[in-house]
Amino acid sequence: MFLAIKEIRHEKLRYGLIIGMIVLIGYLMFMLMGMMLGLANENTAAIDSWDAKSVVLNKNSNISLSQSLIAKQDLPNLNGHQALVGQTPAVIERAKGATDKQTIQFVGLDSSQFIYQKKMKLSSGHKPHGKNQVVLDEGLKSKGYLLGDQITLNGSTQKYRVVGFAKDAKLNIASIVYGSLTTWQTLKGTGDQFATSGIFSDQKQTVKNKNLKQYSIGTFIDKLPGYAAQNMTFEFMIAFLMVISLIVITVFLYILTMQKIPNYAVLRAQGIPAAYLIGATIGQAVILMVSGTLGALLLMIVSKAAMPSLVPMLINWPLTGILSLALVVLGVAGSLLPVRMISRIDPLDAMR
Amino acid sequence: MTAIELKNINKDYGTGISKVQVLSDVSFKAHSGELSLVLGPSGSGKSTFLTIAGGLQRPTSGQVLIDGQDISRFSEKQRDEIRLNQIGFVLQSYNLLSYLSVADQFALVDRVHKGNLSPDRLEKLLQELGIDQLVNKFPDELSGGQNQRVAIARALYTDPAIILADEPTAALDSERVKVVGRLMKERAKQYDKAVVVVTHDLRLKDFADRIYQIMDGKMTEQPLNA
Repeated sequence: MFLAIKEIRHEKLRYGLIIGMIVLIGYLMFMLMGMMLGLANENTAAIDSWDAKSVVLNKNSNISLSQSLIAKQDLPNLNGHQALVGQTPAVIERAKGATDKQTIQFVGLDSSQFIYQKKMKLSSGHKPHGKNQVVLDEGLKSKGYLLGDQITLNGSTQKYRVVGFAKDAKLNIASIVYGSLTTWQTLKGTGDQFATSGIFSDQKQTVKNKNLKQYSIGTFIDKLPGYAAQNMTFEFMIAFLMVISLIVITVFLYILTMQKIPNYAVLRAQGIPAAYLIGATIGQAVILMVSGTLGALLLMIVSKAAMPSLVPMLINWPLTGILSLALVVLGVAGSLLPVRMISRIDPLDAMR
Repeated sequence: MTAIELKNINKDYGTGISKVQVLSDVSFKAHSGELSLVLGPSGSGKSTFLTIAGGLQRPTSGQVLIDGQDISRFSEKQRDEIRLNQIGFVLQSYNLLSYLSVADQFALVDRVHKGNLSPDRLEKLLQELGIDQLVNKFPDELSGGQNQRVAIARALYTDPAIILADEPTAALDSERVKVVGRLMKERAKQYDKAVVVVTHDLRLKDFADRIYQIMDGKMTEQPLNA
């Protein structure tokens, strides 16, 4: 490390530029990952907050909650681990004042079941009591919705009072409005013929009805419209970026080491072992990669703080840690190419 | 006492019709406490001689004896150790790392020797060579003569028995040549080192205890006053 640190301290501009490049590559990767996770979270935040393990849907729904309808006669006997969820897209609008319409996902719940009782986390207000009260995603506060506001759904004359704001109330990148199953039936236009869109449970469920089918939550989430394609796109972007950054960093380290060969040849001529010089080169790669990665993390944190709330971005520290480690490890692995070159340095070059 | 001896050294480059014999039956002895000057024009084989003496390459045939051991038969790692502990190199390009201060040039050598080198010895060496005030300077802040003195100090720092110098005065004016020549002779006498200088700089003849001439790969000893 002695040679590595001394050289970096002496050649501040050169190594500053290299660290700057690593910072930018790392920053781009962290931001992409943050946005991927942010978007993914807005797809599934509500489902994640329910801690569900399985869902029962109409078998012809193509694993889509909004396409699923479960008739009353098909409804099994429910236990304490199951909850009915009636979901439909809708448009909300304040009954008075500014008319900022918002497309939302309406989720009707049964107040006696576990999602309503245990999983709905409010940031303010209280849970809806009765069919004319609703709880809104807290993100809708930024659109001007307040506690006590009267809203309408899909332009109907029926008014609903906003009695609370909920955390993690996002589904399919849209805000959720929690209300009753009766309201869901009204919005869906099904009357009381259909009881729900799906049955969520925090356990595996047994389905005996031939019209229904159980799915794991993983399968259900993967079939959310656009979810898998969007995530895979981001994952490929990050993977390509990792590969490209590895090549760029390797090329930089290779060129740097090439420039040092005359010096290293002199040191080899003096009997300084190749292993010492290899250690210095790998040490230098570690310092550059760790410094660059830390810089990228810092830049990401600052960017997240400065970013408008409209941009979905989520920092997942365990994943960020893994990505940081991968960046450092791959960068250091890139330094193994110049290491081969050092091990082959001919001390005779010092005399030429 | 003989510090290093080369016996019947031959060195060929290439094979077949492209074969070139660079050294032909060269025998040489360097004694402790003496400065041996090896003179020769460019292409005469004097650098090849020095690299074989220093264990940087193997001869085609012949022996290189240090402490009675033929180092030409040593592995690369063993020859590294010989160069690290028993041979000090002073090269034409001063062999200083541009990003290390004078103090750090010595710190690097000390680190490779795992901190076993004496700081008192270093201090004395720097004072004797008149570079003790330059320890915080970098090579590009020093004159050619100062750089050469640092290189000589570094070669002596590990207390090697043999100092091999390749054109140490190539870039120096006459005054500096005298300073470097005197320094190397004094080091040889004072510390009982075998100093071997290969050069085409005849100005160094005044400081030599023995003079050898290499011409077309053949080495002959010359009288001192020739």
